[in-house]
Amino acid sequence: MTRYLRIVAASVLLALAAPLAHAKEVTLLNASYDPTRELYAEYNAAFAKYWKGKTGEDVTVKQSHGGSGKQARTVIDGLPADVVTLALAGDVDAIATNGKLLPVNWQSRLPHNSSPYTSTIVFLVRKGNPKNIRDWGDLVKPGVAVITPNPKTSGGARWNYLAGWAWALQQPGGSEATAKDYIRKLFKNVPVLDTGARGATTTFVQRDIGDVLLAWENEAFLSIKELGADKVQIVVPSLSILAEPPVTVVDKVVLRRGTREVATEYLKYLYSPEAQEIIARNFYRPIDEQVAAKHAGQFPKIQLVTIADFGGWAKAQKTHFADGGVFDQIYAPTE
Amino acid sequence: MRIAAAVSATLLLAAGAASADDVSELRERLEAQEQKIRVLERKLELQDEAAKAAVPNTPVVRASPQQGFRIQSADGANVVRLRGVLQFDGRYFPDDVTPETSDTWILRRVRPILEGTLNGIYDFRFTPDFAGGRAIVQDAYIAARLKPWAVVTAGKFKVPVGLERLQSATDLRFIERGFPTSLVPNRDLGLQFGGDVAGGLVNYSVGYFNGVSDGGSSDGNAPTPDAENDTKGDWAARVFLQPFINSDSFALRGLGFGIAGTFVDSTGSATTTLLPSYRTPGQQTFFSYRGTTAASGATPAVNGTFADGERIRWTPQAYYSVGSFSVLGEYVNVSQDVTRATPTAGLRSATLDNTAWQVQLAWFATGEDEAFRGYTPGSVFSLENHTWGAWELVARYHELDIDDDAFVDGPNSFANPDSAASKASAWGVGVNWYLSQNYKWSVNYDVTSFDGGAAGGADRPDEKAVFTRFALQF
Repeated sequence: MTRYLRIVAASVLLALAAPLAHAKEVTLLNASYDPTRELYAEYNAAFAKYWKGKTGEDVTVKQSHGGSGKQARTVIDGLPADVVTLALAGDVDAIATNGKLLPVNWQSRLPHNSSPYTSTIVFLVRKGNPKNIRDWGDLVKPGVAVITPNPKTSGGARWNYLAGWAWALQQPGGSEATAKDYIRKLFKNVPVLDTGARGATTTFVQRDIGDVLLAWENEAFLSIKELGADKVQIVVPSLSILAEPPVTVVDKVVLRRGTREVATEYLKYLYSPEAQEIIARNFYRPIDEQVAAKHAGQFPKIQLVTIADFGGWAKAQKTHFADGGVFDQIYAPTE
Repeated sequence: MRIAAAVSATLLLAAGAASADDVSELRERLEAQEQKIRVLERKLELQDEAAKAAVPNTPVVRASPQQGFRIQSADGANVVRLRGVLQFDGRYFPDDVTPETSDTWILRRVRPILEGTLNGIYDFRFTPDFAGGRAIVQDAYIAARLKPWAVVTAGKFKVPVGLERLQSATDLRFIERGFPTSLVPNRDLGLQFGGDVAGGLVNYSVGYFNGVSDGGSSDGNAPTPDAENDTKGDWAARVFLQPFINSDSFALRGLGFGIAGTFVDSTGSATTTLLPSYRTPGQQTFFSYRGTTAASGATPAVNGTFADGERIRWTPQAYYSVGSFSVLGEYVNVSQDVTRATPTAGLRSATLDNTAWQVQLAWFATGEDEAFRGYTPGSVFSLENHTWGAWELVARYHELDIDDDAFVDGPNSFANPDSAASKASAWGVGVNWYLSQNYKWSVNYDVTSFDGGAAGGADRPDEKAVFTRFALQF
């Protein structure tokens, strides 16, 4: 009978092994935010080449893009993303705390708080800047239409919001109350709320709506690259915010799919000089000092506040963007 | 004159200036209106995008006659279904021999069914049954569909042997299954490997189970229900071919045939005999092996018969349907090694071959298509619409023949010929009225004749059974 049992066990193992017969081809899913499409299209190809050379395995990285907050919810709801590369740490925190898909100390697993690149928020205006928009104060003037996505769903929009809030606080007589009033006026000038940064760019650039787009720096550069400097131009405000888009492996997914090694290496490779060059080419600010120095000329110098000035993402999220927070209090959709 | 010309020129200039202002104002207003239109268009565009994006992520909740109540993820990979079976039977015996206590109403099946699929691969089913005043687990299994030809099933489920046994209780054409089902296993705990080959032309199953007596389920195992009862597992295997299932031939498409069997080599005891009893279509026991009884007064103790060695079942089987007609046929042979410590002949052993077969015919008088699984009434019963649902007429003949060696040698025999019949032959007819996909009313009439089974070698009187069933399934 033992012999029979062995036969059964062998048969079952063979059957279970059948789907693994093509294990030399690995797929990863990267859930990212809106404006990283071009960056990861180029990076994924570079990583596939690197991984093939290192291990002999073919790796295909599929992308999913959307508003950062929306992407986080989708991952929590079951999108089997091996890695997330989102716009802000608060969204990854939500995956850790609400979805229990990765440890809460995820940010300490990779260098620079798991942010292999940074960016900031700038203004994109129409050529010639017909509304003469120079700084945050100009955005609340009557007749100025501001395009920014919804902070509830977009990480970029949350950076926009906080940068504006920080500027208002720094004005003479600035206080929580004046900052709140400023944000209220700002969003009163927003005719359309897209769910993500790429949608907002479409609204401004392709649908020709609005006078100014509050944009990721890379998104603004990309728009100029695609449309030409004769259509739009960048305005650098007096103050902005240091955006640190984080990356992490989604532990429960890679555990289930058996992709931890390749997923971890996929993120680590972002810190390599080769990847940092790709990052700079796509208008993100590299964290590698040598690469950053090489591309210093393409990034304007701006006074930057950081999320630490808001007490960290957990506090900022709770105060401003959680249900019933400041944004819910001040925002009413325009008619 | 000069003054007039100067006034005219001034007026003209003033008029021109006023016109330019108007045009500029109009342009600004036009641009503002265009901006508003663009904003409205963009908002509509975003609403459309949100609606389209929401659809793929929205779980689907459905209630359908065929598949019960279903909650399904948008991609269809995860499904949970709530289904149920309720069968309420009436039994009446218009003969002079069946005890009147057998005329009764009973709840034959009360089964809520929770089943589904996870990750598009892992099927599961949990089916308790609350009929008969007790709660048992009928099905509890997980099936991993790794490939169409590689399905690993683990848990408690039907052993892949008997054709009519493998037919769902909701699809049975008769209220009670025929004699061949009495010789094959019902549900058991085990591990099965199987699947479809060549697009379903061939279905195969190989499994290793705890083992059950003929017609039994593991919940009837002694001493512990749903556990091993003889330290030896049963091997079961089945292959079933439907060579024309994908063909255009209307006449051949519904043909299927195959063969199945089980094997075990195990030994029971006088208390755990591992041997079955057999029942009539009226669910009355007509055959049992001799059982163990203790001495009582002048009556000496009697040792019962028990399984002692190999039990081999094999069963060729076939099903054929064409249009509104179908026929099901199967033959079962059970070769069972038995032993008994007899009163005067010492320890007797033998190999007994019990056999059963049946032919079952079904015809939808209302023209619906017959099929092994499922049915779809052409109409739903409605007095208002003067529609009558589907009507089906059924007939069958079946026999169960006990090996004559079971009865030889008087008190030393393995079965008592004064109480156990050596053969039962039955014919039956019935009507099934499908009021809808979910409601069915059936009436069966079965007559069973016996060889032996009465005192002095006489034949047990015929059993006549009228059964009716009110069935709900979803």
